Amino acid sequence: MHESEPSEATDVQAQNFRLYVEPEIEVLLRVASTLTNPSDAEDLVQETLVRAWRSVDRFDGRHPRAWLLTILRNTNMNMHRRRRPDTVADISDFVSTRPAFGVDPPGTEDEVMTSILSDDLELAVQSLDPKFRTALLLIDVDQLTYSEAAKVLGVPVGTVMSRLSRARARVRRHLRPTFVAATGKGTA
Amino acid sequence: MMLTCHWSGRRIQRYLDADPAAPLDVDEIRRLEAHLAMCERCKAAENEFRQINTALSRWAVHTIPDQKSVEHVRHFLDRLTSGDGT
Repeated sequence: MHESEPSEATDVQAQNFRLYVEPEIEVLLRVASTLTNPSDAEDLVQETLVRAWRSVDRFDGRHPRAWLLTILRNTNMNMHRRRRPDTVADISDFVSTRPAFGVDPPGTEDEVMTSILSDDLELAVQSLDPKFRTALLLIDVDQLTYSEAAKVLGVPVGTVMSRLSRARARVRRHLRPTFVAATGKGTA
Repeated sequence: MMLTCHWSGRRIQRYLDADPAAPLDVDEIRRLEAHLAMCERCKAAENEFRQINTALSRWAVHTIPDQKSVEHVRHFLDRLTSGDGT
């Protein structure tokens, strides 16, 4: 990896860059994991920061997360030219058994349903077209907004909404028997 | 009722997400909530989408970055902005 600085890097520029980047490091690592896999995420984020640093003098300081996510996407495309930017790594990375530090547990009722859904949900998500699956993971797991997911995928917000809607509808259809068994009710 | 179910079905996810890029307006929310209060099928759909969302949000625990990775990136950022080379 090669060091490269903005043409006229100043202390203020460096300080501003840190202010833009530091709060976004965890989000960048999470999204990078979704786009590649956990072992490649760090490399992707570091390369993203190198590119961002090179172009910081052209950044207006507004919406640093969106700016960084756009660079992350472009960097990922360049690093993995043979991999489409809207595909995702192995779904098992998301459902492994690492302990749940730092996340509030849901209420008891949700906990029960989450437990019932667990295996079926994994299968349902795994069976999705990668385009739909990635939109679903970026928004429902990584908790990005529609706009942020659009930046990561390089598509309009409307496309993200459409993919997300179709992904959830397919997951719901896949889980229908589980819902019916759990509630005793058939639904539309 | 069929038309209202169709209308509602196209808005339930936006209603649950409340995303700033695609908010429902006040009238849409009022109309949707009124429909959900009286339509068992659409209410069930809302519940199911909500449960799927809850279950997926639990996966977030597996994508929380390792603190070591966060620290690595922080140190990298230090080196990058101080021109120390990487």
